[in-house]
Amino acid sequence: MAAEVKPIPNAIPSPHAAEEEDLREHLMFDPRPREEMNRMVMDSMTHTTPRYWIVVGILAVLTAVLLYGVWGYMIFTGIGISGERRPNYWGIFIVSLVFWIGISHAGTFVSAILRVFKAEFRRPFTRAAELMTTFGLAAGALWPLIHLGRVWVFYWMIPYPNARWLWPNFRSPLVWDFMAITTYLLSSTIYLYLPLLPDLAMARDRTKGWRHVVYKFLALGWRGTEAEWFRLRKAINIFAIAIIPVMFSVHTIVSWDFAVAQTGGWNSTIFGPYFIIGAILSGVSAVVTILIILRATLKNMDYFIRLEHIDALGKLLLVFSMAWAYFFFNDYMVSWYGGSEVVRTILTFHASGPSAWIWYVMLLCNVAIPWLTLWSKKLRRTPWLMLIVTLGINVGMYFERYTIIPITLGHQRMPFDWGEYTPRLPEISLALGSLCLFMLLYMLASRFIPMVPVWEVREGQEAHQLRKVGKTVVPSVSELE
Amino acid sequence: MATSVVHMALFKEEQLDEAAEAIQVLRNLGISDKDISVISGTPFSEKMLGRPMAWTSIPLIGGAGAVVGFLVSVFLNFGTPLLYPIQVGGMGLQTIPTSIVLTFELTMLGLLISTFIGVLVETISPSYGPRGYDARVTDGQIAVLFSSGAELDASLHDALSHLGAEIVHGAEDKKLWP
Repeated sequence: MAAEVKPIPNAIPSPHAAEEEDLREHLMFDPRPREEMNRMVMDSMTHTTPRYWIVVGILAVLTAVLLYGVWGYMIFTGIGISGERRPNYWGIFIVSLVFWIGISHAGTFVSAILRVFKAEFRRPFTRAAELMTTFGLAAGALWPLIHLGRVWVFYWMIPYPNARWLWPNFRSPLVWDFMAITTYLLSSTIYLYLPLLPDLAMARDRTKGWRHVVYKFLALGWRGTEAEWFRLRKAINIFAIAIIPVMFSVHTIVSWDFAVAQTGGWNSTIFGPYFIIGAILSGVSAVVTILIILRATLKNMDYFIRLEHIDALGKLLLVFSMAWAYFFFNDYMVSWYGGSEVVRTILTFHASGPSAWIWYVMLLCNVAIPWLTLWSKKLRRTPWLMLIVTLGINVGMYFERYTIIPITLGHQRMPFDWGEYTPRLPEISLALGSLCLFMLLYMLASRFIPMVPVWEVREGQEAHQLRKVGKTVVPSVSELE
Repeated sequence: MATSVVHMALFKEEQLDEAAEAIQVLRNLGISDKDISVISGTPFSEKMLGRPMAWTSIPLIGGAGAVVGFLVSVFLNFGTPLLYPIQVGGMGLQTIPTSIVLTFELTMLGLLISTFIGVLVETISPSYGPRGYDARVTDGQIAVLFSSGAELDASLHDALSHLGAEIVHGAEDKKLWP
């Protein structure tokens, strides 16, 4: 094949005008001057409407009342006001913990894995995903504390010599959880911060007053020297590679909270990968939800976040939905085939007991709806539909955890000890409150942190060229590192 | 001895080739690489600019942190059970499979935190080479900084101007961090 390789900087010769128009749809082939992109991102941070502050105010009040108010009330009165009682000692608190830790997997997946594999479409939305990881973990880390009941003694989990002769048991998955979540929270926060340095410097150079002071401090004196870029690349590469196994370990350890117990329906060797796939499915869905909302509400975001990105993530979602279904069926099949009466009873109960609707909604949201919609490019490029599908997946994933935890726990070996779990108002309030906290943190961050890594977008645009092959031009990407 | 002053040649974002050429011009006119530095708003590798390879100790610092994390985990897994024995379900006090989990987490934590500390320390440490800053760099412009006499040599000025550079005589070294 005779291929003439010739970079065409900004435009394609007129015979290819139609192809040029098609390619302009892609952010990488629709470059704008860096100054303009900087201004667009700064505008998105500084442009606030009264509606924004009203929503922030409502979320702040809801967080204060539904989360902290009710939590305070529960601390004062005791954990007995929740619906957790024998045999369901784990309910909404642990369901929400698993849900939020799962959500937090998206940032690492989208940012680190796609970075390592050089998936170019990731560039404009890595930060939105990384922020989700940090705030998801912040929301998730509350739940073990809430579940403790006597939260004021939480520091007993920390290993230090003490007069009580109490010491954490490092052979317990609950202590592994504490270590894994701490490691993941710290490393993902740093992983959010490192690529932010050049953008903080950009913000520092364009602001005055308190914002300037804060950005100046956070930018660490970034100037953009060769040495600084070199260091940044090295550090990001180390983080991108090292944080991936940490991410896998976190949800595996969360799954071991269940799998190492001799509890029917939990004692499964496949729980680790099953939980990881579920976490990625739920996290990537949440990224799509957030991108659609950012695109619709944040100024200038429609330039950076385009239908091509929703489309690409939609394809990923379809793959993860299929993978989740595979692991779900695998777990179900082996447990059912094993012939354990207890497990069979639990599985039958999931599909036909009084809470069966939860099981069916889970399958509908996680399998049926994604499979019926996400195969279609047209549907993947319809934002309102993707919003519904991705919200649905997260409802489905919440219900999956609900099925695994209280419903399974309530129907163990001794039928006389079976019990239905019904979450009470404080638990529902706390769950909604943590959602409000997440949204509040995200909304506030969107006005303070540049939501698009402009330098990464610009780098990507530099790397993309058009290559003339025969009678047509095709996109090509250069390796700039 | 003549006073050395930092000058800055600013190139537009699409003038990367010219910026690389300017570095070569400076070298040809007797300015050594240690008296030149480049700042940019987009990462350009040393190879693109024809500059000597940079060096960083971040991987070493990260590796050292991983070793520290590993040693801490060995102490927690195998040392503390002797100080605070907790008998659980007939399990041995020092079990290797369960220790792997904590060892992994603490090793990775050591690696990642020390990598960040490495970035922090190297970033705020004093750097060598000409220093100067212009906010237009974050707008994509490429600044080639070089140390030269207070009065810029006319031939140098002409050569850089010919390449399309905007020349800032006596570039200001702003204090960018408290």
